[in-house]
Amino acid sequence: MTTLPRDQVRSMMGEVLAAQGKELPAEDGALLETIGFRSLDFSELALRVEDELDEELNFDAPGLRSIETVGDVLTFIDQLQQA
Amino acid sequence: MSENSTAIPRASCVLVSGGSRGLGLALVQDALDAGAKVATFARTITPELEKLADDRPDDVHIGSVDITDEKAVRTFIKEAAAHLGPIDALVNNAAIGQDSLHVHTSPERIAAIVATNLTAPLLVVRAFLRHAMAKSGRGRIVMVTSVCAQRGYSGLVTYSATKGGLDSAMRTLAREMHGRFLVNSVAPGFFASEMSSVLGTEQLSTITRRTPTGRLVEPENIAPVVRSLLFDDTNINGQVLTIDGGGSI
Repeated sequence: MTTLPRDQVRSMMGEVLAAQGKELPAEDGALLETIGFRSLDFSELALRVEDELDEELNFDAPGLRSIETVGDVLTFIDQLQQA
Repeated sequence: MSENSTAIPRASCVLVSGGSRGLGLALVQDALDAGAKVATFARTITPELEKLADDRPDDVHIGSVDITDEKAVRTFIKEAAAHLGPIDALVNNAAIGQDSLHVHTSPERIAAIVATNLTAPLLVVRAFLRHAMAKSGRGRIVMVTSVCAQRGYSGLVTYSATKGGLDSAMRTLAREMHGRFLVNSVAPGFFASEMSSVLGTEQLSTITRRTPTGRLVEPENIAPVVRSLLFDDTNINGQVLTIDGGGSI
């Protein structure tokens, strides 16, 4: 399966936030709670990635609960693509 | 605090399932009249729908699709979006009727009604949301259910179960989508269309007699309510709007 580079996913994450008038910080350590990136934002990002890949990235909710930072999101998406 | 403080925009492109005749066709026409583009599919394309697509090729996308064919539905959504642009609203209308006592309804028929009226609409919602979340991020969903989900009518056990199931799913979706999608049901009473032909003359006349307005519902009564849910800033979310002349009160 083709995979999207981390930078591209990061810029898609920025688009999801920008649509709500929010900004994505440059630091991977930024907390999602602080920047207002919620679970549905993650779903939206995953669907955008799927759209690019033309592949479904299905996952269960518990996997999301440990995600706290921007870097965690990018790593999780990366892992989904590798799975 | 709510996740979204601004209103969900009015629908710009509406997907209507089962839009080839009766209520579905009326809803297609009404959404077009309200200025939206419309994508609609049905098992069989009627001449009326064909004409609509011929008259307004830039605004209407039609397809002959069986709603229980999940892959075909997904393909239709993709093709419709390529033609009309992102789809941001769904009217889940397609359904089949029932006219048999539960004890005399075959397991195969029960399975078919559940597949068409409950499983397939849930998969259409899933496909729509996957598209809309990736494209527009926000939107509106209207489930066309039935007063049968709230009141008992002989001969409609499985049909009623599927409509009640959709109402329940609607409420949960309204919660799950956190206000990014307004999700509601309209529940028509019995109207003199093909769907109400499942009731006998005597049953229809009893329902009419018990309806305070004294008349059965027509598609023209449903369309303005669906229109409002698709286009107005009502802030209605997670609700069943029953349109039955007061017959169920």
